[in-house]
Amino acid sequence: MPDNIYLPSLGRIAYIKDEVVGERAIKTFHVEPLDGGWFDHDCGQCAMLSVFGRGEAMISIASSPLVKGYKQFSIMRVGRVSSAFHDLSVGDVVGIRGPYGNSFPIDDWRGKNLVFIGGGCGLAPIWPLITTAVAQRGDFKDITVFYGGRTSRDIMYRAELEKLRGSVDVHLSIDKMEEGWDGYCGFVPASVMNRDPSPQNAIAITCGPPIMIKFVIQNLNKLGFKDEQIYTTIENKMKCGIGKCGRCNVGKDYVCVKGPVYSWAELKYLPEEY
Amino acid sequence: MEKILEKKRVDDWVAALTGYEVHAPALEEGIWGYQPINGPIRLDHTNTKQPPKEFAFPQREVFFSFEQIKGEAPRLKQVMPSGPRHAVFGVRPCDGRGVPRMDKVFNDHAQDAYYNARRKNVAYVGLACNKPPSANCFCLSVGGSPVSTDGLDVQLTDLGDRYFVKAITEAGKDLMTAAGKLFADPSAADQKQLKQVHAAAVAHPQRAVNNPDQAPAKLKASFKSPLWDELAQACIGCGICTFLCPTCHCFDINDEVQGKAPLNGQRVRTWDNCQFPDFTMHSSGHNPREGTGARLRQRVCHKFQYFYENFGMHQCIGCGRCITECPVGIDIIHVVNKVVENAG
Amino acid sequence: MINLKDIRETARDMLAKGEARAVIGYRRGSRGMLAEPAFLTKPEEADELVWDPTCFHNLSLYLVHDRKHLAHAGKNSGGAPVAIIAKGCDARSIVVLMQEHYFKREDVYIIGVSCEGTGVVDERKLATHLNGVQASNAAFDGDDFVFTTAEGEKRIPAREVMADRCLECRSPYPKEHNLVFGEDKTGRQLEAPFAALDRFEAQGAGERWENWARHFDRCIRCFACRSVCPMCYCDECVVDSITFPVTTETTADEKASRIRWIERSAARSENITYLMTRAMHLAGRCTDCGECDRACPVNVPIRLLNNKMEKEAREQFGFEPGASIGGPSLVASFLDKDPGEFIR
Repeated sequence: MPDNIYLPSLGRIAYIKDEVVGERAIKTFHVEPLDGGWFDHDCGQCAMLSVFGRGEAMISIASSPLVKGYKQFSIMRVGRVSSAFHDLSVGDVVGIRGPYGNSFPIDDWRGKNLVFIGGGCGLAPIWPLITTAVAQRGDFKDITVFYGGRTSRDIMYRAELEKLRGSVDVHLSIDKMEEGWDGYCGFVPASVMNRDPSPQNAIAITCGPPIMIKFVIQNLNKLGFKDEQIYTTIENKMKCGIGKCGRCNVGKDYVCVKGPVYSWAELKYLPEEY
Repeated sequence: MEKILEKKRVDDWVAALTGYEVHAPALEEGIWGYQPINGPIRLDHTNTKQPPKEFAFPQREVFFSFEQIKGEAPRLKQVMPSGPRHAVFGVRPCDGRGVPRMDKVFNDHAQDAYYNARRKNVAYVGLACNKPPSANCFCLSVGGSPVSTDGLDVQLTDLGDRYFVKAITEAGKDLMTAAGKLFADPSAADQKQLKQVHAAAVAHPQRAVNNPDQAPAKLKASFKSPLWDELAQACIGCGICTFLCPTCHCFDINDEVQGKAPLNGQRVRTWDNCQFPDFTMHSSGHNPREGTGARLRQRVCHKFQYFYENFGMHQCIGCGRCITECPVGIDIIHVVNKVVENAG
Repeated sequence: MINLKDIRETARDMLAKGEARAVIGYRRGSRGMLAEPAFLTKPEEADELVWDPTCFHNLSLYLVHDRKHLAHAGKNSGGAPVAIIAKGCDARSIVVLMQEHYFKREDVYIIGVSCEGTGVVDERKLATHLNGVQASNAAFDGDDFVFTTAEGEKRIPAREVMADRCLECRSPYPKEHNLVFGEDKTGRQLEAPFAALDRFEAQGAGERWENWARHFDRCIRCFACRSVCPMCYCDECVVDSITFPVTTETTADEKASRIRWIERSAARSENITYLMTRAMHLAGRCTDCGECDRACPVNVPIRLLNNKMEKEAREQFGFEPGASIGGPSLVASFLDKDPGEFIR
């Protein structure tokens, strides 16, 4: 930890991509350190990004820890700070501090099958895990990715997902049928049931809208996944990132410190205040 | 270090504290508040309306200033608190016990440089409560005492025409040695009187949380109790209970823009509180604690369950401010007792 | 004299017959002598009701809460009105709310209580009178208040411990009511209307500014004044950053482009904007229930600001807030005799 946890480092926007357009637009940013290096992170951790004059927002780091030159963030435009990010251009300088929160225990999972289940912008928090596992492909057995969006235009990381095919089993879905769609049609929890992944020596990692997560977990339980085999990430409003400002407090946990990653075995005992 | 100081010499002691900015309770607008001393100090206050938490955790703290000329990288300038050492006189024992609790919050997991910079610069001169200063005092039932020295650097006890002065920490000793000549050694009679006064103070009847040790488990079991909504029905969602609490520490961080060309301003921390309706609201509009019941539960459970689970002590120190000052009668003692009792 | 039994009987009867879906009144709180808001839904709860000089609260606030809850849940009231105990000032607030179409006359059953020759107690004045002794009960007794204390019964002439707003009140009788208890003492004058304001205004401009500057510095922006005010029902308050009614439907554009009129820092400039804007928005609507003034934990004399507006409205336009449901509103009606040639 730096001496002053509230003082951000500066980062330059090196790359911007329109991931999803429309009312719930998502843009992907690569942020490079302005002066030399900065912090390392683990899969699942977050960083506090800021546009000076607008404020700070906690965002999942979407790039693998193996990527050293920049950190990737995929940000949906929902409020004051995220909108400010959407107005940025390549070369603009932002504030960044972190990393915050716990991480996925990826080292415990080597030699196992990994089942990823994402919905909407919920692919970003598990993306570092997916890309790290693919980079270390030999360490893991079967890797399966279920991912769905409302429509085909809401599918983020489309090209990257296509590139995974071959080493990873990818199942894309959209909520309602569209012309030319050859993937699954229906909600993500149903898409999972459609393929009934085996709980044998497997870990399931899910992230997406709360309602999706709820039904995904129900379905995983039905498929025989034990609570300890299911991981998810939760989010809450955050201001400090270090368990002091109180915003993300749920039960005795500060999500910014104890979370965002929880196994369902842990999460089911946490008050439902997220 | 234990000494006797005649009451009429207190001002001489304060005068000898050169290099310190001395604060003591003073009446303004009919309320007691810590003020920089301006003339003789009086320590006949009840308790201050606002706790002394502001000395380490002010309502507004500037983290840094920023300036950004268009097309250039922003320049950040850290603003660390500085200034003379503070000596705060007349801190009640409950508020003293708030100090180590705040120390934990601001140093657990990560150290808060701003809090610590202020904290190491302040010494608390406590005043034992010979009798409860408020009808809503309940320090005894939350593990405290009207003669507790926890969190204090010096403890004063009123022995009529003189104070029994006890150094609790090195910083406290420094305060006393700064005016060494004013103090006398306590006699056996002084010691005896101190014991009597303290015993009487502890024996004074107070309101009480009935089963404080059971509270964490019982509250945990009562998360879904309908009582929360019922008990919070009158709640108006203001910030009195938390802003006046010696251990409430929630805050907000915002950029305050002073000028647009070039862009310049400050990143600022301000007190925030869990009773404001939007405190937990996500950017998406989803709010995990939408109703007053959920918010009252958060405040009460934080004090009596969550903090206990994390640090092995109640966060509530029993000053009773939130009870006395609530405009609509929400009473944390009543709430805890009722929920705990109802948990069976 | 009001017989409490009659009030209880009315409440019991209405709840038993389903003539009210709830009765909002006062009951004895858990902290000493103070009454607190009570929300009764069962006839057997009617015995909890009290009527005494600590029934400060303007309960019409809870009619507003009720409307908000119903709207949030997407429900309508389901027929039966809510019965509410209302003093003269409270009933006038209800009238203003109806003038503003917040709810309809048939949604509310007003159980009026006349303050007759007295009013509510001012806790600050009382504390000075009792010199630190705590009272466990307060009662009306003609022109006196009777306080029960550990040192026996204390009888204090009402005028000495009554709130300023009550002393200056010209119409302590709830004209708008379904049922009323107590005598009509409209026109009584214990003190001249706006007496406290006149005293304040007698100072020079420099002194007034100095006074207000000090108070604006003291405000901690807990928003108790706004939260306790039935007229501050706006879902979104223009002067703070915490009441932006975000739902999952709110667009990113709306959220991003919202202007923050003031910063969260409780600084003088921000506090002035908050308190003055609130006063302006209460012009012609504030019925001088005095709740904001009472709720303020740091004793900012908020009532003086609202009184100033009320006085101007009266002197310029002969306007009395909350006089009748069909009556004009201050800012939305124009009469030929209104001053201000420029507007014609």
